[in-house]
Amino acid sequence: MSGRRAVLLQAAAVLLVACGPTRLRVPGALSPAPRPGTTAGALQAGFARVDITPPPGVGLAGNGPEGAEARGYRLRLYARVLVLADGGGNRLALVVADLPLSSALLHRRVAALTARTDGIGADRLVIAVTHTHAGPGHFFEAAGYNDQGSSVAGFDPVMVDSLTARMARAVHAAVADLRPARVAWGSRAVWGATRIRSLPAMLRNIPMPTALDAPAGLALEYQLVDPELAMLRVDQRESASGAFRPAGAFSIFAMHGTGNAPSNDLLDADIQGLVERRLERHIDPDGGFVPRAVYLFANGAEGDVSPAWPPQSRCNVPTLAPLPALDGPFTRTLWEWRAPTATHLASCRHAAREAISVIGKRVGDDAVALFDALGAALTDRLPLGRAFATLSLRDNAHALGICAEPALGISTLVGADDAHTRIQGWLLFGLFDLGFKQGSPNPNVPGCQAHKRQLFDAAFGGLPNHLFISGNLPSYAQVMVLRLGDRVIGAVPGEVTTTAGRRMREQMLASARGAGLPVSDALILGHANGYLEYITTAEEYTAQYYEGGSTIYGPGEAAMFGRALARLAASVSAGDSLPAAAAPPLDLVVGHQRQVVPRKSAGHVPRPRIERVWCAGDTLYAWLQLGGAAEWAVTTGDVALRPRVEVVVDDATRTVVSWDDDPALEMRLRSRRGGLAWWELSWSGVSGRTYRVRIPEVAESDAVGCAMP
Amino acid sequence: MSAGGRYVWHGISRAAGLVAQPSLAVELRAHRLSLQSGAVLHYELDRVSSGELSETGAGGRHLGEEDLWGQASVDLGPTRLHAGLVRYVFRGDSGTGGVGSARNTTEVFASLSTTGRYLNPTLEAWWDVDRVRGAFLRASLDLPVLGWPFPPYAFVFVQTEMGLNLGQGPDPARPGELANFASRGITHVSLGLGTEVRAGRLSGIGVTTLAFGARSQLNADDATRVDGPGRTRDFVVWLWTGVTIVLGGAGRTGQ
Repeated sequence: MSGRRAVLLQAAAVLLVACGPTRLRVPGALSPAPRPGTTAGALQAGFARVDITPPPGVGLAGNGPEGAEARGYRLRLYARVLVLADGGGNRLALVVADLPLSSALLHRRVAALTARTDGIGADRLVIAVTHTHAGPGHFFEAAGYNDQGSSVAGFDPVMVDSLTARMARAVHAAVADLRPARVAWGSRAVWGATRIRSLPAMLRNIPMPTALDAPAGLALEYQLVDPELAMLRVDQRESASGAFRPAGAFSIFAMHGTGNAPSNDLLDADIQGLVERRLERHIDPDGGFVPRAVYLFANGAEGDVSPAWPPQSRCNVPTLAPLPALDGPFTRTLWEWRAPTATHLASCRHAAREAISVIGKRVGDDAVALFDALGAALTDRLPLGRAFATLSLRDNAHALGICAEPALGISTLVGADDAHTRIQGWLLFGLFDLGFKQGSPNPNVPGCQAHKRQLFDAAFGGLPNHLFISGNLPSYAQVMVLRLGDRVIGAVPGEVTTTAGRRMREQMLASARGAGLPVSDALILGHANGYLEYITTAEEYTAQYYEGGSTIYGPGEAAMFGRALARLAASVSAGDSLPAAAAPPLDLVVGHQRQVVPRKSAGHVPRPRIERVWCAGDTLYAWLQLGGAAEWAVTTGDVALRPRVEVVVDDATRTVVSWDDDPALEMRLRSRRGGLAWWELSWSGVSGRTYRVRIPEVAESDAVGCAMP
Repeated sequence: MSAGGRYVWHGISRAAGLVAQPSLAVELRAHRLSLQSGAVLHYELDRVSSGELSETGAGGRHLGEEDLWGQASVDLGPTRLHAGLVRYVFRGDSGTGGVGSARNTTEVFASLSTTGRYLNPTLEAWWDVDRVRGAFLRASLDLPVLGWPFPPYAFVFVQTEMGLNLGQGPDPARPGELANFASRGITHVSLGLGTEVRAGRLSGIGVTTLAFGARSQLNADDATRVDGPGRTRDFVVWLWTGVTIVLGGAGRTGQ
């Protein structure tokens, strides 16, 4: 080989590697053996909250190609932490973050820090997410979710590092907040707020699901949900008075974070964010911008459960069309994905916000009622325990009873009814059905992934999946069972359907009782410690709805998780350290590395200022220069002590009527000119008064009168 | 910028070798109305010998034709109307078998196109107002086959076209005039398959698109069959590629 050719070959090899996906090896950090404290037997609890709202520019993950680039934010994104400790030194940290998907990478990274600082390793840390589809991507454990989670592709180490640092600090802060506590478990049925979105798939289950306690008059898809809102109320002892005061809660409720329409382009905590704030402000009505109370509102077996949004809250998707520009006699036809009209988008987004508000209030009111009811059942007894395992899915597929190679069904590309994609219903030349629809199983598929219609499988079999897809899907599942008093909680890295979740709960409960644990109930905590897409029952899988197409390791997945959870439920322990085999290193392919999170701000960022304030219709607008172009909503400290912007009534007391954490107030980044962030504030709560816009302790606008809409 | 293995105009092969066609177009838009104008140059990259089909003529490897065009368009929802004018200027040497300035001419045109989920038909009417003085109709159909929904967006499409000569053939009243076609009726039917990839996006500025494809044509008129002096072909196939940069407007906001 000539020297020149060798150089060329080496350059090509370097280029290929540089253009290829990023690979990471992530070690496991388990908790050290706990050291018994001085307060033997006493339950302690600590809370913390951290702002994780990234700057605009990131992709809003969860809606696949319909996930827009974030232009700003509405409700801020938080990670909320509850740390529970017993006198034996056992600590369990629960994190519930306003993020779209959980990530084993993030979980491992945070655990590596908190294991050192607080003795909370991977086996004592749960990072669950609310599944808001208006949260950022780019930090996931698998290339497919970083590169195809939204319309903004790429894995960004800065996103991982930022989330890791903030969450680890929040866990540390919650540990520092540990105080004697009293707790109470309870639950309440919330009907009418959620519905089964893939009813035909659910009705394939044997025995067929029945709604025993549903109120009369509800449609079947509303009757068959698991309506349970399970809550652990936590009161902490005040150091000054010694009295126990309501401090917060942890709860599980099954509902997709899809209140926002897929075309939404703002970061937002969605319905879950409203529910969290509703209870937090109920507990701490005078808490100002950041209430003292913290409510962790985690997701349950929500795989096939949508919020009860109305159809008009879903926007049309872009269509394939020739670009209606520069189409002269000698210019080539250009194609584009043509977005719906601005009028249509405004209409469906408005309907979605209305639905979020109604459902959020509905569920929030139930959470408040449950919280208050639990005040009579508080106890300082809450035995803690945990069991943790990491399943290597590809390597141990046979033993686990799943397929050795993950695969996506065509119905995954099509999307669920929450967020069907532009591919849905596509016919070749308008005539030939390629199966781009839900509920289109292929009975002729051989092998483990039977029934799953895959992309171009009629022509090429499993080759396209093998070459282009399976390598981008996750390879591990971190599974955990927590014991919190008389409840065992199965933390599952995926979206478990209602029936699959019910079966897993039964298996866990029987197993825990069989092992002698005095437990009264078992719960499923979805979206925890990683993401493996959907987990359907074998019967649901045969229908190949969106959830079945997205059950990537085949029809045996739910049974596999059921067995794993049952095994863990029987081995819950406390006061020990787990063997290293529980958290082996993860070899991850995380996708193409890109600088998605903006990096550059101006060298000198001037004091924020309000450029202009005006009213139009029912909306108050303001144009603000607010910080650097790459700044996060909170740049120093973990939670802002005050809002960045407020709307106040032009009266003597300057009554605050809104701030930048309000569903009616939107902050859109309009320009990054000069490395500075130029924002447009729009607040749709105008009620015919005179207002001012204020940047607390910095600037206040002139008064502007807004007519009654 | 386009490049292809053949330059075909109204179904007539004008050069059978490698052709580069740089073009520039601008558009001004106000609500439903837009004005567009552009120019395209046709460079022949192969040095042709005598007897080969070429605009430049034997031995040439340079500019064979330059065209200037302008049009006004109206958007009526999914339907779009155009009306405009094209000036053709030929730079070849007729003495060596090329196309010289004697063929310079001007056409006016009007077209109607509409966009659907699967079918995007266009009907064009051309009228030579200078040299040939006659009409030519072209009906085309663009069909999207598949679109990749994630960035970088990619599209696969099929293009079909049919030409119909209504008056650009020989005129018995003006026997000395040059004609475009030999007879009235269908001139050609073509079918092509293309792929387009959004190669790059400059946020807020525009997009770059790479495209390539193959085109085939069934020739039905003696003029469209001509493949060089004394040579005819009923069926031709050629490859093409191109890169398009759209700045501002639709390029800034489109997907």
